[in-house]
Amino acid sequence: MKHNPFIRKMLEKITEQILRLSGAITSITILFICFFLFKEGIHLFNNPDIEKGYGLYVHSRNPTIQLSPEQTKKVFDGELDNWKELGWDDKNISLFRIDDAFEIHSEKDLGENYELLPQKLSEIISNDESIIAFLPKKYAPSGASVKELISENIKIGDYFLGKEWLPTATPAPLFGVLPLVLGTLFVSIIALLIALPLGLGVAIYLAELAGEKQRRLLKPVIELLAGIPSVVYGFFGLVVLAPIVQKAFGIPVGETALTGSLILAIMALPTIISVSEDALRNTPREMREASLALGASQWQTIYRVVIPYAKSGISAAVVLGIGRAIGETMAVLMVTGNAALIPHSVFDSVRTIPATIAAELGEAPLGSAHYQSLFLLGCILFVFTMIISIVAEIISKKKNYKTH
Amino acid sequence: MKQLFIFCISCLLLFSCGSKSTDQQTTDASSQSNPRQAVKIKGSETVLPVSEKAVQVYMKSHPEANISVTGGGSGVGIAALMKNATDIAQASRAIKFSEKEKIQESGKSVKEVVVAYDGLAVITHPSNKVSQLTRAQLEDIFTGNIKNWKEVGGEDLEIIPYARETSSGTYEFFKEVVLDDKNYMSGIMSMPANGSIIQSVSQTKGAIAYVGIAYLNKTVKALAVSFDQGKTYAMPTDQNVKEKKIPSGPPTILLLFI
Amino acid sequence: MNKKLSQQIAFSIFRIFGILVVLILMSILGFIIYNGIQVVNWEFLSTYPEEGMTSGGIFPAIVGTFYLIIGSMLFAFPLGVMSAIYTNEYAGNGWVVNFIRMMTNNLASIPSIVFGLFGMSLFVTQLKFGDSILAGSLTLGLLALPLIIRTTEEALKAVPDTYRTGSLALGATKLQTIKRVVLPSALPNILTGLILSIGRVSGETAPILFTVAAYFLPQLPSSIFDQAMALPYHLYVLATSGTDIEAARPMAYGTAFVLIVIVLIMNLTASFLRRKLEKQ
Repeated sequence: MKHNPFIRKMLEKITEQILRLSGAITSITILFICFFLFKEGIHLFNNPDIEKGYGLYVHSRNPTIQLSPEQTKKVFDGELDNWKELGWDDKNISLFRIDDAFEIHSEKDLGENYELLPQKLSEIISNDESIIAFLPKKYAPSGASVKELISENIKIGDYFLGKEWLPTATPAPLFGVLPLVLGTLFVSIIALLIALPLGLGVAIYLAELAGEKQRRLLKPVIELLAGIPSVVYGFFGLVVLAPIVQKAFGIPVGETALTGSLILAIMALPTIISVSEDALRNTPREMREASLALGASQWQTIYRVVIPYAKSGISAAVVLGIGRAIGETMAVLMVTGNAALIPHSVFDSVRTIPATIAAELGEAPLGSAHYQSLFLLGCILFVFTMIISIVAEIISKKKNYKTH
Repeated sequence: MKQLFIFCISCLLLFSCGSKSTDQQTTDASSQSNPRQAVKIKGSETVLPVSEKAVQVYMKSHPEANISVTGGGSGVGIAALMKNATDIAQASRAIKFSEKEKIQESGKSVKEVVVAYDGLAVITHPSNKVSQLTRAQLEDIFTGNIKNWKEVGGEDLEIIPYARETSSGTYEFFKEVVLDDKNYMSGIMSMPANGSIIQSVSQTKGAIAYVGIAYLNKTVKALAVSFDQGKTYAMPTDQNVKEKKIPSGPPTILLLFI
Repeated sequence: MNKKLSQQIAFSIFRIFGILVVLILMSILGFIIYNGIQVVNWEFLSTYPEEGMTSGGIFPAIVGTFYLIIGSMLFAFPLGVMSAIYTNEYAGNGWVVNFIRMMTNNLASIPSIVFGLFGMSLFVTQLKFGDSILAGSLTLGLLALPLIIRTTEEALKAVPDTYRTGSLALGATKLQTIKRVVLPSALPNILTGLILSIGRVSGETAPILFTVAAYFLPQLPSSIFDQAMALPYHLYVLATSGTDIEAARPMAYGTAFVLIVIVLIMNLTASFLRRKLEKQ
């Protein structure tokens, strides 16, 4: 390669630029992920709180102006069946959906492109004072005796503080993510409570007690635990662990938060062990020797000197372990029963954020409120893990301790 | 019966492949630079076994065809149809009015073809003593008003209802015909697929759930259900489906015309 | 309490914990291998699923996973290695490098389902790749990037600085030094990283759910715009759906077995390579 020095220099420069660009790839990816997630997610709050393109119609004599999404749901579920409860006269609420129109009138009656539908709908409403009708705006009934209820956009508070997750309910889907967020945190924290003592114990064993032979056995075991795909853990949990948990605790259901936590604990173990082992090893030799020279036993030295010194590294292990558990999808989807309830005990079934996304994203029509709500769940997850990762970074920087 | 399925789907596939190859030049949205246009089938878990079989039969006579089958639930299939991400959607329920509207808005039309009728089966753990329920009782169980088996004539045991994920056609169908369009109780256990429902019910003493009739096996017990306030009860059998004694959701195949 | 006694109790607890971890792994591996090995034979590996996934084999899923591995590595490996070369050889030690390292760590901590969401939004929908091997490979590639970058960086760091200064002193340019001296001596370590990321990529389910995975394909994918079956997704399907879950169980065990074996081989090769290098 006998290049002219100028060309060679140019080549060097160009390569350097290309390398610099690829150096930025992870930052660009994160930026992109952030952008695309929030781009879809944020639009959720531009959606009306009842299904898009639909309206709720009542008789004009009805004084009701507006129903909250929860009220709407209760009305259409028959839990609220009298207008008295909504502040009007003692009349039973009669429900009407667009499909009912096709039971009353034949397709022929309604015209080829349903051009007669709005008129028929107005007739139906004006004939029944106590009706509430859920109809597409395209065929909106008109006339003096028809009134449309006001619908607002989905409220931020309803999303983050709502307690019910019924994203496909009609007329008013409920997007309360509280049970999902709490479910995710609950499962992860229980998992950590199981994994932390175990992981820390193994880390101490590896760092302080184990001989070369034991290390050579344990290290690959831990690497393999980290390498087993999550769907295999899920399969194992479903077939083996769930029945065991069910029998061992004599509980009616095997798919519980506890089952999920146990699987997650196993999955978080490798992270906790390797990060805290590194931290323990980083304790300076002089400190141990000083402690031993003062007459402390080996256990006292570990317990009073090594662990306090490695505290920040161990905290980083805790944080990273939680991060691993929060984001886990397939294993949790397969073993926790996926009930969107705020968990009260470890034997409750829970639905986590990742499992919800995995189970529902496929069905959500592009650009619908449901689709956007799932992206917003993705944003929540993204923010969680970013915070966790940055916290871990700060903790481990504090002691100038090197993660790997 | 099975032959009929296969025949129907084969016809559909044939048609879909044919129409694709003739107007391939004119459609550019999904064909991209793909030389051999793949036919995508997506949707209901209930129809999956049929589609899978039909595709295998079809491939024998048309080895050059390029077909993919994906599950996920009826909602997934129909949503994919709206996104133009599938050619055929399988569904175990009729297409909803709102869905039809959305597809029409994008300037396309959809055709519904019924390939077969499937019966709805309500199942419990084999040890359960209750053998029949009315529709109203089922509604109360799945909306959370009845919580113990003794309220419906069984032993003193907590009822644990399992539902499918919201993407499922059977979920929607059950909601429509059994729950009278009410919502399931909040926080019901939801399973991603029929197989896991069977698995969970066979392991859980107080469980109750619903599946397509084809999924019944001896690890679970099917219940007789009454849809006329307790006058007559019908077991989920092929005969009763034919005579329309139990509600049958039509697993339809939906075809998108561009 | 007695000093010695408490030490003995504590140490034996830790020892038991160590044994427990080994037992956990053994029980999972043992369960899958014991049940799986009875199913796996040549026919299982080389034929298509039949009879509603209750008989036949998993050939298309194996091929699909293979395609996804190749696709994602073609994209992520060069990019990851170049990124690591930049941070280690060019960028010095300022805030830029720290920032890049932090971002790499952050990317590594993002859950795989978020990659799935992103892949669906960008590759499947925005760029109109559809559900395809291309979209799935890119998504998986992004997921594997941090692992490749980290292992490559470690490999580059392990190359003694004297190699670099020696080469530069002989009149070679920086690029030549990297190309002829640094990379060759770091190569085995870089390959270890590659193998580890193949292990990671082959087991991921969540990122491929909405970007590539098919339930059933009667033929192999013929272009990068086709859908593909993949082992982890196939295991998920076998474990949860199907008309006859009991009859499909052996198939699920077999699939789990094949998946585990792939991951085991990748991990063992990597640690074998690493040990061999450490000895040198």
